[in-house]
Amino acid sequence: MATISQAQGQPLAPSRVVGRRKLNWTPYLFILPHLIFFAVFVGYPFFSGLFISMQSYDYLRPEANRFVGMDNYIALFTPGNVKFSEFWNALINTIEFVVYSVPPLVIIPLLLAVLLNTKTPGRNFFRAVYFAPWVLSVAVTSLLWWWIFQSQGGLFNYYMNALGLPSPRWLSTLPWAWVSIVVATVWWTIGFNMIILLAALQDIPDQLYEAAAIDGATGAQAFFRVTLPLLRPVLIFVIITTVIASFNLFGQPLLMTRGAPAEATGGGGTEPVMLRIYTEGFVRAFQGSAAAMSFVVAALMIAISYFNFRFLRERE
Amino acid sequence: MLLKFRRGLTHITLVSMLGVLLAACGGDTAGPAATVPADCPNVELSYWNPFTGPDGPFMGTLTDKFNTDNPKIKVTMTTQADYYTQIQTAAASDTLPDVAIIHADQVATWAFRNVLRPMDEMVSTMGVAEADFPAAVWAAGNVAGKRYSIPLDIHPMTMFYNEDLLTAAGMTAPPKNRADFEKAAQAITDKGQKGFMVTSGFPVQQIFSMLLYQNGGQWFNEDGSKAMWNSDAGVKALQWLKDAQNKWSEPNLEVDAELAAFKAGSAGIIWNGIWQTTSVTGESVTFKGKATSVPQIGDKPATWAGSHQLTMPTHKSGADKCKDAAAGIFIKYVVDHSVEWAKAGQIPANSKVRNSAEFKALDPQASIAPSVENAFFPPSIPGITDAFSKLDDAVGAVMSGKATDIKKALDDAANGADQILAENKSKYGTAPGSTP
Repeated sequence: MATISQAQGQPLAPSRVVGRRKLNWTPYLFILPHLIFFAVFVGYPFFSGLFISMQSYDYLRPEANRFVGMDNYIALFTPGNVKFSEFWNALINTIEFVVYSVPPLVIIPLLLAVLLNTKTPGRNFFRAVYFAPWVLSVAVTSLLWWWIFQSQGGLFNYYMNALGLPSPRWLSTLPWAWVSIVVATVWWTIGFNMIILLAALQDIPDQLYEAAAIDGATGAQAFFRVTLPLLRPVLIFVIITTVIASFNLFGQPLLMTRGAPAEATGGGGTEPVMLRIYTEGFVRAFQGSAAAMSFVVAALMIAISYFNFRFLRERE
Repeated sequence: MLLKFRRGLTHITLVSMLGVLLAACGGDTAGPAATVPADCPNVELSYWNPFTGPDGPFMGTLTDKFNTDNPKIKVTMTTQADYYTQIQTAAASDTLPDVAIIHADQVATWAFRNVLRPMDEMVSTMGVAEADFPAAVWAAGNVAGKRYSIPLDIHPMTMFYNEDLLTAAGMTAPPKNRADFEKAAQAITDKGQKGFMVTSGFPVQQIFSMLLYQNGGQWFNEDGSKAMWNSDAGVKALQWLKDAQNKWSEPNLEVDAELAAFKAGSAGIIWNGIWQTTSVTGESVTFKGKATSVPQIGDKPATWAGSHQLTMPTHKSGADKCKDAAAGIFIKYVVDHSVEWAKAGQIPANSKVRNSAEFKALDPQASIAPSVENAFFPPSIPGITDAFSKLDDAVGAVMSGKATDIKKALDDAANGADQILAENKSKYGTAPGSTP
């Protein structure tokens, strides 16, 4: 561009400025639509939330809002403070749920996807069957499993009793309350992961399996040496999105266990952190403190996602 | 915090034989009738309530009746689910209704959060008199010295019993005192059923609180700055409840499990809110399911209860004298005709209505009604329900066996509640609109 300007014998500097401006505006114009949405729906709420987290805040009492610095955060890290025990109890509950739920939510869909990727008769029917629960709302799913697990004439305990087996309190004692919530969640959401993994499986060329078969590989060997390595990028995507989804646990304990069983130290044995934040901000009207809790959780999720991505990059 | 659920306050589908007479009879309890100012031709009022259960249509009927009787006023009733979320969203966008139902323990919170306005000036012109209400339920609407609500009903803890099991166990009448209650629960248990089923979740905190008051204890000190449930009375109450669970109940029951067991005929006695009446008595069950007032276990009578109160929300544009006058007439009408609402399974807060012949004809409401005279309510300070979350957890943990030291569980809950009360006080200040 500069060469052309010189060749035309025009003054160098102004032309350069014009040229650079043209070059620079184009990419910004391309990202502008997204940038506007990002600024309005992510950027502004982020900084506004950060500001709220440093105040004693109630949007219905603007006259009483005041800046309190880091007090809301300090309370969350002060043992003996009510908010400390409530918040960490709920956060640890959520992490527990992530640990319990992510392995079955990845492994079961993977096995189903492999099964349904074969040329079995009726596979389209089964694909639809396994995917179907995913279209239900959390309320329907939770109510359904509540009916199955509840202690007085619930389906599970009815048959356990009929067979003379012990009938635990699925919704009001640990660890059974977590078992109930994980089972309901697995049933509800495996379809989504299964479809993604199935699509990825269909992208693996048949020749690779033929070659493996010629080399004398068994079915298991083909799975571990061919399928899994080629599936890894998609599998890692599935793991990351499942971890994030499990972190956002809210509706199932709200509707199935109501956070039960109660903990002597305060809070509930299955109360997730998202429910704690909701309670703090909208039942108790301490939006400043609720915002501070959200930022601590967000920091944790950013850290976890960072390690996930590092893991992904190193393997590639 | 375990979620404190207000079960959709529900039903009673009693056949109303007196319905036609009600409009006329209700008038008897009215004071000097207020009227809409002459320069207010047609006033439209919006009225919100949380009655999403089968109780909603009863309030709808009452509202329709008001519209027929008062041609100059048109009230539009809206029933909202997830009620207090709707209220605060509406408050933020200045779209609050003209009249709204608020629970007694929430009045102070919403008054301080600029959702409700004082109605002292209107109370005298409305013709609603303090003397017509039990002192405790009237006091619930007094926030920082001003009146913010008029009580509509009181919904007490109620005893439901399976008369077939009770008779088979040799009891001729529902127990009214501790000795009879323990005898009945034990006798039913000896016969192979569960004498008294109690859960480890809602409403076990409310049951504990009732026993606390019956033993002479109380929730908070007078100004609501300190939790008092870790007293001897509290320990005694929770010990009795835990023993009752050991002797006559299945352990570790989840919320609503006692209702399901009762309906299945395997529980002799349960205590739950009066709003459960239609689901566990009459046609809903295959045995003789009955409801009556809770027995007195401790030294003095006391009954846990909630109350729906009629309030006037704020509008940024300020008060409208036509709407205010009409709202006053509507509130007075609803209170005076609350026998219509009582059919939904409620006890009218107004003593004149409660003593009327029409109400006394309602079964089982009439037999439960005397218990509301000794109903107790928390102090009318903002955010008081926050403090109860600690008590919910302590009582739940003891009942589920997660905590074994009753005194320590109640102490810890009281310490937590004290922190919450102090935090609320510094947040809300001393009067609505004040900055701490």
